[in-house]
Amino acid sequence: MDKKTLLVAEHIDKRFGITHAVNDVSLTIAAGEIRGLIGENGSGKSTFCQMLCGIYTIGGGTFKLDGKELHIRNQVDANNAGIAIIVQEMGTLSGLTVAENIYLGHEEPFMHMGVKDSRAMNREAQKLLDSYGFGRIKAGVMIDHYNFEDRKLIEIVKATYMKPKILVIDETTTALSQNGRLELYKIMDAVREDGRTVIFISHDLSEVLAHTDTVSVLRDGEYIDTVESSQVTEDDLKRLMVGREIGSAYYRTDYGTPVSDEVMLSVQQVTVPGELDGISFELHKGEILGFGGLSECGMHEVGKAVFGASWDREGTVKLADGTEINDIPTAISHSIAYASKDRDNESIILNESIRNNIVLPSIDDLANHGLLSGRKLTRFADEQAKNMQTKMQNVGQFVSDLSGGNKQKVVLARWLGKGSDILVLDSPTRGIDVKVKQAIYALMAELRTRGKGIIMISEEIPELLGMADRILIMKDGKINGEFIRDPALSEEDLIAKMV
Amino acid sequence: MEKKNKSTEQSRLRAFLTGDRFKALLPLIGFVIIILVMHIMTNGKILTPKKLRLLFSQIYYPTIVATGVFFIMTLGSIDFTEGSTLGVASIVVSALSFYSIPLAILGGILTGAAIGALNGFFHVKFRLPSFIVTICTMYLFRGVCAYFTTETAVPASNAIKALDQDWLKITITLAVLAVAFFLFKFTRIGNDVKAVGSGETAARFSGVRTGRVKFLAFVGAGALTGLAAFVNVIKVGSITSTAGNQLETQILISLVLGGLPITGGAKVRFTNIIVGTLMYAVLNSGLSILGYEPQVQQLIKGVVFLIFVALTIDRKALKVIK
Repeated sequence: MDKKTLLVAEHIDKRFGITHAVNDVSLTIAAGEIRGLIGENGSGKSTFCQMLCGIYTIGGGTFKLDGKELHIRNQVDANNAGIAIIVQEMGTLSGLTVAENIYLGHEEPFMHMGVKDSRAMNREAQKLLDSYGFGRIKAGVMIDHYNFEDRKLIEIVKATYMKPKILVIDETTTALSQNGRLELYKIMDAVREDGRTVIFISHDLSEVLAHTDTVSVLRDGEYIDTVESSQVTEDDLKRLMVGREIGSAYYRTDYGTPVSDEVMLSVQQVTVPGELDGISFELHKGEILGFGGLSECGMHEVGKAVFGASWDREGTVKLADGTEINDIPTAISHSIAYASKDRDNESIILNESIRNNIVLPSIDDLANHGLLSGRKLTRFADEQAKNMQTKMQNVGQFVSDLSGGNKQKVVLARWLGKGSDILVLDSPTRGIDVKVKQAIYALMAELRTRGKGIIMISEEIPELLGMADRILIMKDGKINGEFIRDPALSEEDLIAKMV
Repeated sequence: MEKKNKSTEQSRLRAFLTGDRFKALLPLIGFVIIILVMHIMTNGKILTPKKLRLLFSQIYYPTIVATGVFFIMTLGSIDFTEGSTLGVASIVVSALSFYSIPLAILGGILTGAAIGALNGFFHVKFRLPSFIVTICTMYLFRGVCAYFTTETAVPASNAIKALDQDWLKITITLAVLAVAFFLFKFTRIGNDVKAVGSGETAARFSGVRTGRVKFLAFVGAGALTGLAAFVNVIKVGSITSTAGNQLETQILISLVLGGLPITGGAKVRFTNIIVGTLMYAVLNSGLSILGYEPQVQQLIKGVVFLIFVALTIDRKALKVIK
C-alpha cells in the first residue's frame, strides 16, 4: 500500500455485562480509502465504530489518528478530532429548522453578542445544501416538514460539511430509496477524492462490494480479515462472516409448484385515508403472497389492515369461515400473526423478557380455567425460543439486549408458538444478517409447504422474486401490477410497475 | 494476568452495583436502614409493642389504597385522586352508615369505582395523560368534599364506630392483598398490565386490549379506595374537610420507597406494596416520636423520596408518565 495510514486501532475491546461485544480488534485504515465493515448482527461492527465516535466509552485499547492517540470521551471530542458518524436511526431533532439541525453544536460563527443571526445561518446552510445538490430542501423550514429520507440527507450534510477525516456510515442505506443511495455513494466518492476516509457498514453485500476499496470482516466480536473488494465475491464475504460455507439455497428454488385454490383470506375494497385506496386481493392456502413498491406506496398499511390494526379502515377483511377481522384481538384469536416493519415498537416489548414477549399472544391458550402457571409459561417460551435457535442466556433475558436478528427470531417464535395459520410479515429480514436471513427464508418455505398462508411485504426486490408465489406491486395506495412466480421475471419488470 | 483479574473483579462489582439485582434489593436494604436509624435515634422507643400497634393501625387503609394504585403505576400511569376519592367515599359511607352497614360498604366502593371510571374514561377515550386527568379530578372532588363538610364534620353512626377492631381491619387488608396478588400473578390481568407498562404499542399489537385494561385498572383502584374509606370511617368516626388530605403523595412515596419503578412495566414486584407502606409507616411514626414539627417531617420525607427515586429509577425505560 502506498497510501498514508490514517487510523490505527490497537487491541480495541468492549464488554457489556457478560457479553464480549468487541474482542481485541486491531486494524489500520489508509487515508483516501473507503473501507467496508461487515459482520453478522452482534459481530461488534457497530459497537467498534460507536467507540471510535464517542457514543460508547472505549473498553480497552487505543485509537491512533495520524499517529496521535485519541482521547475521546464523547461525540463532541470525536467531532473535534475529525470523526463523524451517520447512524441507522433518526439523527435529526424535531422542532428545529433544517439549518439549526445542520449547525447544532456549532452555532458560534452565527452568534453576535449572544444573539443568533438566523438569516446568516439559513443562508450558509442553503449554500451547503445547494452544493450537495439538495437544493429542493430549504434551510429555513422546520425539519418536521421533510420525510425520513430527506432528513437522512440533511443528516449526511450535517456530518460531512466540516470535512471530517473519517466519516462513519452505519447502516444508513436501509433507510434510503434508490435515489437517496445514489446521493450517498456520490458523497462517499467525493470524500475519497479529497484524500479522506469512509468507514461503511452495511448488510447489503453487493452494495459493499460495489462501493468500497477494501472490506474488513468481524465475527463474534473478533477481527477476521481484511480483503480487497475487487478480489472477492459475495459468497467469499458470506463465508468469512459466518465462518462456514453458506449453501447456495438462499431463496427457495422450486418453480411451478401449484398453489391450492382454497382461499384463506379475502380482502375487499379496503381503504385507509391517505394510505390505501380500495385494495382487494385473496390469499390462498400454502401461498407466499409478496407485496412490493416504493416505501410510500401504502404496502406497509396492507399488513396493518389485515391484522385489524388500522385506525380508520373501510372495506372488509374476511376469513374463509366468514369471520370479519376488525380488531387485533379478533385477528390473533383467528390465527393471524403480524410481524411489523417497526420491530422495536410494534412487534416486541423491548423492556420485557423474552419469555413474556413469547407468551403474550398465547396467554389465553396457556391458561387453565383462567389460571396461569409461571412454570408452564416458562417452559412454553423456552421451547419456542429454542426451536427458533434464538441466541440467548435464558428466556428471562430482556429483549433489548438482543441483536436485530435475534429479536426477529423472538417475534417469529411467539407466532409459531401461537400456531397462527396466516402470517403477515412486513420486511421480515430488515437489518438482519445473512445467517438469520437464510434461516427465515427456510422457515417461510417450510411453513408454506405446511399449508400456511404468508403475506410478505418487502422493500427488497430480490427477496420478492426469490420467495413469493405471487407478487402484487403497489403504487399510490392501489395495486398496480400482479406477477406469478417465474424464473424469467426480472427486477426491471417489477420496478416498471412501482414508478 | 493478575492485573487483568483484578480489573474484571472490579468491573464485576460495578456491574453488580448498577445491575438490576442490586436495584431490586435496594428497597429491602433501605427498609432495614430506616428501621435501624429510627431505632437508634428514638432509643428503641419505636419497637415497643404499644408503638408497633399504633404503627400498624396507621397502615391498614393506605395499604388497601396502595394495592389499587399499584396496578395503575404498573401500567406506567399515575393517579392523584386517592385522597379526594377517600374523602368523598368516606362521606358516603358515613351518611349511609345510619341505614345499614353493608349498604355503607357498598356505597363507598361504588363511589370510588365511579370516580375511577371517570378518570379512566377521560384517560382512555380522550387520550389525556393520566396525571393531567387525575390532577383535574383531584381538584373537582376535593371541592365536593369541602362542600359537604364546610358547616360541620359529617358524623358516622355509632354502629359503624363499634366496628373499630384490629382483627376486622387486618382481615380486610389481608384479603385485599391476597385477591390482588392472585390477580396479578395468576391471571391474564397481571400479564396485560405489565405488558402495557413495558410497551403499550407492542402490547396492543400482541392482542392486549390496552384501553380496556387501563380503564379497568382505574375503576379497580377507585373501588379499593372506596373500600379503604370504610376502614377509615370506622377509625375516625366523623369526616372533616381534610379527610384523605395528601393521601396521594403518601401512596406515591410509599410505592416508590417499596421499589416500584415510576415507569411501571416488567420490573414491578408485588412486594413493593408491602415493603413500601411499612417503610413509610416506620419513617412517619419515627419522625413523630422524635418530636419533629409536621412541616419538618414533610421536608424530611421529601428528601428521602428524592434520594430513592434517583437511586432506583430505570433510566433506560424512562419516558413521560402516561
